[in-house]
Amino acid sequence: MKNLKYALILILIVNTVQCQKIKKLKPERFVTLAIPEPSDLCFSFDKKSIFMVSDEGLLFETDKNGTIIRKANFEGVDCEAVFADEKFVYVVEETTREIKVFDLKDLTLEKTISLPYSGGRNKGYEAFTFNKSKNKYIVLTEKDPVYLFELDLEFKVINKIKLEKIARDISAATYHNNFLWLLSDEDNTVFKLNPNNYEVLKKWKIKVLNPEGISFDENGNMLILSDDLKRLYFFKTPEN
Amino acid sequence: MKKIIILFCFLISIAGFSQLTLSNGNHTLEITGGISSYYNERNLKSNEFDKSKNRFKLRDAQLQLEGRIGKIYEYELQIDFADIAANNANTIPDPENPGLMDAYIKYKGLGFVDIQLGYGKLFYSRSSMVPFVYSAYWQRADLVRGDIFSQRDVGITIMKNFWNQRINVYAGIYTGLGEISLNGENDASGQLEYSGRVDFSYPSRFRYRDIDDKISAVPMFAIGINGRYANKSLPDGEDFPAFSEGEFGLKVINGKKYVYGFDAAFQYMGFSAQFEMHQIKGEPKLDNDLLFNNLPKAQTKGYFLSGGYVAQVNYFAKSIKTVISARYEELDLNDLVKGNSRRFSPAIGYQLDGFDAMIKFQYFNIIKEESIDPFKWNEQFRIGFQLNFK
Repeated sequence: MKNLKYALILILIVNTVQCQKIKKLKPERFVTLAIPEPSDLCFSFDKKSIFMVSDEGLLFETDKNGTIIRKANFEGVDCEAVFADEKFVYVVEETTREIKVFDLKDLTLEKTISLPYSGGRNKGYEAFTFNKSKNKYIVLTEKDPVYLFELDLEFKVINKIKLEKIARDISAATYHNNFLWLLSDEDNTVFKLNPNNYEVLKKWKIKVLNPEGISFDENGNMLILSDDLKRLYFFKTPEN
Repeated sequence: MKKIIILFCFLISIAGFSQLTLSNGNHTLEITGGISSYYNERNLKSNEFDKSKNRFKLRDAQLQLEGRIGKIYEYELQIDFADIAANNANTIPDPENPGLMDAYIKYKGLGFVDIQLGYGKLFYSRSSMVPFVYSAYWQRADLVRGDIFSQRDVGITIMKNFWNQRINVYAGIYTGLGEISLNGENDASGQLEYSGRVDFSYPSRFRYRDIDDKISAVPMFAIGINGRYANKSLPDGEDFPAFSEGEFGLKVINGKKYVYGFDAAFQYMGFSAQFEMHQIKGEPKLDNDLLFNNLPKAQTKGYFLSGGYVAQVNYFAKSIKTVISARYEELDLNDLVKGNSRRFSPAIGYQLDGFDAMIKFQYFNIIKEESIDPFKWNEQFRIGFQLNFK
């Protein structure tokens, strides 16, 4: 029993020391959103507004403070990722494995792209963005395992990369300042990756419950979305 | 049986080597399952010689089909082939391992409430509602493993959540015979069991899990209260279906039965703790009911009490992929009989791939036993491996 006690103390010490290596980021402020179960966000192409999606299958556009400006006339299923370019807003449904493409002007559904994936129902696509460095879209599965699929401009899968050693799960992705940024919900960690070979360059811990979305504003400030708390957290740029 | 095994092997081969989720954009079907096996060793009391429990056991051979049709219907079918085989061979079914684990449909079309119909876990007792694979243990606490009150039944449940799932409300009506309800008949009383539960969590929704494997960045807690009621007074000369009363004769009684429970859970930075207590108040119809232990009515006042509590603490050491748990339990099967039982059980799980591939070790220690529930052993060790294909 005495040996067991020492073993438990040793486990606690080892675990605590290992957990202290990564720099922790604290949010400057947060706002509570009116969006139910928000699951991802991205800035508009001109960085003047934000798009957010919901687990309840909804798409919203908000101002930079998270106040709803407009809502798409659409009710999908389990929307988990969103990305916008100068013409379209792309929404990824996790369970149906579909990408819904909306016209930016009026948020009407333009087309649906099927992207079959046979992993777990709730371990499907969680993150989607455009990798400018390789001129490809990328979509990532959540976990078990974490796959990064590279898609060409016609949304055809042209590469599949296993990223399971990075984190236990991936909940969001964004491209910013010529780097790929990933967010892990279960590890509460933000990762900065080389967008060409997907190697992790740096990582930061964040104290946010159930972080599901990441994006950067025009000044490089980082925004993190908490699904469970319906909150949008504002951080200074992590590299300061 | 042969056909079932062939079907099982076929579905596992699909799950293991091909698709786990099928979707046509409207209907999504997920195929998952798990296999677990352990070795059990008992230290018998000095006057006991039966070592038949020193053995390997196939605990789980499960197949689970979960589906969603649009946003209106969800369904689940979960079968444990290891339990079906064991229950075919044994005379007494194990309530914690009934074979058919879930077979229900959920209708979400009403909007203001969801309705679940069929067979599955009752929304009673947080500990019972935690899926067992997310634990370092091989066995639930005795209070909540289905011998005192049933874990599963056939019936209908109405459920509603508020405030982003921080508040969950469940109310249901069931046959009331627990796992034996699958036999298809009610008892001769024809009466049903009624159950309800409300739980509240803060600062966000709190999933029904014991281990804080997500290393919660902020402290989280949850509390819940639940109750059940049945009045199954049998007509003279009638009996309950075989095994429905359970090992201690408490699951169904000939008369009124009230069950109340309270539970609380906490988690933060890998630490987690749960506390749960339940009390049964039984009012048997007959004065000579065995639950009165031959005591006069002047002494029993027409009722007996049964119940206890379970306290559990856990730590998830993420860097070394290890779950450590310790559990203490007190159980009084009948207040009309002096004494209670006390048990202590720590467990450790080493994750090769999260909870999906885990080596688990559990130690059982009987600190004190009750005269109406004597044990043949003092200590028990159980070590094995679980693999979930998801």
